[in-house]
Amino acid sequence: MRRKLSILVILIAVLVVLPGILVAVGGGYWFRVATTIGVFIILTMSANLITGTTGLMSIGHAGFYGIGAYTAALLATNLHWPFYLTLPAAGVVTAFFGILLALPTMRLIGIYFAVATLGLGEIIHLTLLNWVGFTRGPMGISAIPGIALDGLFSASDIVNYYAVALAVVVAAFALGRLTHSYYGNALRAVREDDQCAASMGLNVVRLKIQSFAFACFFAGVAGALWAHTTGYISPADFRFSESILILAMMVVGGLGSLPGAIVGAVILLGLPEVLRPIGDYRMIVVGAVMFLSILFLPRGVLGETSVLAVMRRQFGLAWDNVKHLGWRQ
Amino acid sequence: MTTTPLLEIRNATRRFGGLLAVDDFSGVVQRGERVGLIGPNGAGKTTLFNLITCFTPLSSGSVRFDDSDISSLKSFEVARLGMARTFQNLRVMPNLSVFDNVSIGALGAFGHSPVAALLHRRGYAEDISRRTWEVLERAGLQDVAGELAANLSYGKRKYLEIARALALSPRLLILDEPAAGLNDTETAQLGQFVRQLSDEGLSLLLVEHDMNFVMNLCERVMVMASGRKIADGTPQEISRDPIVLEAYLGSDIENEGEAA
Repeated sequence: MRRKLSILVILIAVLVVLPGILVAVGGGYWFRVATTIGVFIILTMSANLITGTTGLMSIGHAGFYGIGAYTAALLATNLHWPFYLTLPAAGVVTAFFGILLALPTMRLIGIYFAVATLGLGEIIHLTLLNWVGFTRGPMGISAIPGIALDGLFSASDIVNYYAVALAVVVAAFALGRLTHSYYGNALRAVREDDQCAASMGLNVVRLKIQSFAFACFFAGVAGALWAHTTGYISPADFRFSESILILAMMVVGGLGSLPGAIVGAVILLGLPEVLRPIGDYRMIVVGAVMFLSILFLPRGVLGETSVLAVMRRQFGLAWDNVKHLGWRQ
Repeated sequence: MTTTPLLEIRNATRRFGGLLAVDDFSGVVQRGERVGLIGPNGAGKTTLFNLITCFTPLSSGSVRFDDSDISSLKSFEVARLGMARTFQNLRVMPNLSVFDNVSIGALGAFGHSPVAALLHRRGYAEDISRRTWEVLERAGLQDVAGELAANLSYGKRKYLEIARALALSPRLLILDEPAAGLNDTETAQLGQFVRQLSDEGLSLLLVEHDMNFVMNLCERVMVMASGRKIADGTPQEISRDPIVLEAYLGSDIENEGEAA
C-alpha cells in the first residue's frame, strides 16, 4: 500500500507538479533543460545496470546512445517512421549492436573491459563521423520530425517533456524490477566476485551479456528521444566526454542505485543551469561538487557500493591470473 | 540403488608451465561418504579441488560425477549438477546482505531469468526465498539475515559460506579448510554441523590442516604430497602409515624440498 502510494506521489510530481512549476517559471527553455536531464537520467540509469549493478566499468555508453539517436533519426527522415515506431526500433537496434560488440569483450576482466568499451565508443563515434554517405558525417542530421500524432498533438516543448518523462518512468520501472529482484542479486554477485558466482551455478557470461543488452536498449531509447526532441543530431553529441559525464553522474549519485542515477543527473545538469547567474564560474562549482562527492561520499549520495571498491576490483582482478592476463578463462 | 561412486577422479593431471601441481591423481568419493584430503602445504590440494569443480581445466585425465564425465563442463554447470564448494580464503560478498549472499546459491539451483524479474513472477521468487530461509535457519544465521556480510564475525562468515553452498541443494559438498582460523570450540561446533549434514545424506570432501577435525569427522582420508596421492585409507590406517609420516615430518632433505 505504501509502495503504491509512493509511486502515485512520484507520478503526480513528474506529470503534474514539475511541468506546472516549469510553466510558472517561463516554460520554453526550462522545458528543454528538463528533457535533457530526462534523457541523461535514462542514460545514467541504464549505464548503472552495467557498471553499478553488474560491476563492469563501461566507458563507451555514449556510443550506444549515438546508435540509438542515428537509428531513430534515419528511420524518421528517410523512411518517415513515426516516433512510436522509431523509439522501440532504436532500442532494439542498439541492444543488437550492444550484444554484437560486447560478445568478444565479455571474457575480458577489470580495466581491460573498460579500455575495450572505450574503444567501442570511439569506433562508433568515428563511424558516425566518417560514414558520410549514410550518416551525413559532421553535418549531422537535421529536420528530424518531432514527437507528434496527427489530430492528437503536435510537436512542442510540453509534448517533448511528457514523452521523455513517460520514458523515464518506464525505464525506471523496468530497470527497477531487473535490479531489485533475485535477478538483480545474480548481477550483483557477478560484481562482487564473478568466479564465486560461477561456482554457485550462475552463468556469468550470460548475465553480463543480458545486462549489456538491457542497458543498450535503454541507451538507444534515450538516443531516439534526444533525436526527436532536439530535431538535430551530429556526431559531436556522442563523444567520449558524454560517456564520462554519464560515469560522473553515476558516481555522484551512487553506483548501483537507481534513485542515485536520477540524483546524479539532476545535480550535474541542473547545477550549471541554476548557477547561470554567476557566469563561467559555474562550471568550477560543478567540478568542485564532483571532486568533493568523491572525497566525502565514496558511495555517492545513495550508492550501495563504493567507487573505490569497484575500481580496486577493476585493477586488482586484471593481474589475477598472469598467464591469461586480462582474461577470464 | 546405484553402486557407482558419486565422484570419481581418474588420473587427474594439471601442469602449470614446468610445475606438475597435480600428478596422476585417482580417487573416489562414495555416496554419503565423508572423505578428507590432507597433505603438506603446496601438495596440490586446492588445485585438485579446482580441477574437480572445473575452475581450472585438466591437463589430462578425467573427472566423473554421478556417472557422467564433467571434465569439459564449465564451473557453473558443475555447480548446477549438485557440486557445491567453499573457498580457502573466504569469498563471501561483503556488500550484500547475509540473505542476499545465500540467495545466490538458491539462484544457481532455480536458475536466473530477467523475464521472471520483469514480470514479477511470484512463484519463482517464493521458491528462492523459501530455500534461502530454510538454509539460513539450518546454519543458525536467521537472526542476522539483514546484516551486511562484511559486518559478520569470521566464524559466522564461515557458516555463511557453507549456507550459500547448501542453498544449491548439492549432493557433494566440497570444503576447503573449513576449520582454518576457528578456535577449538568453534571447530567442534562446525564439526557437529557438518556431520549432521552428512547424516542427512550429503557427501563430503574436505581439505583441512586440523588433524583432529579430519580424524574425528572423516570415514576415509586421502593423503597428497607433491601432487601425488601417497595414501588412502581410514584415519587409523593413515595415522600409522610410515609414508604419510615421512611426508609430513620429512625424513630427508630432498623430500622436504618437494613438499614445500
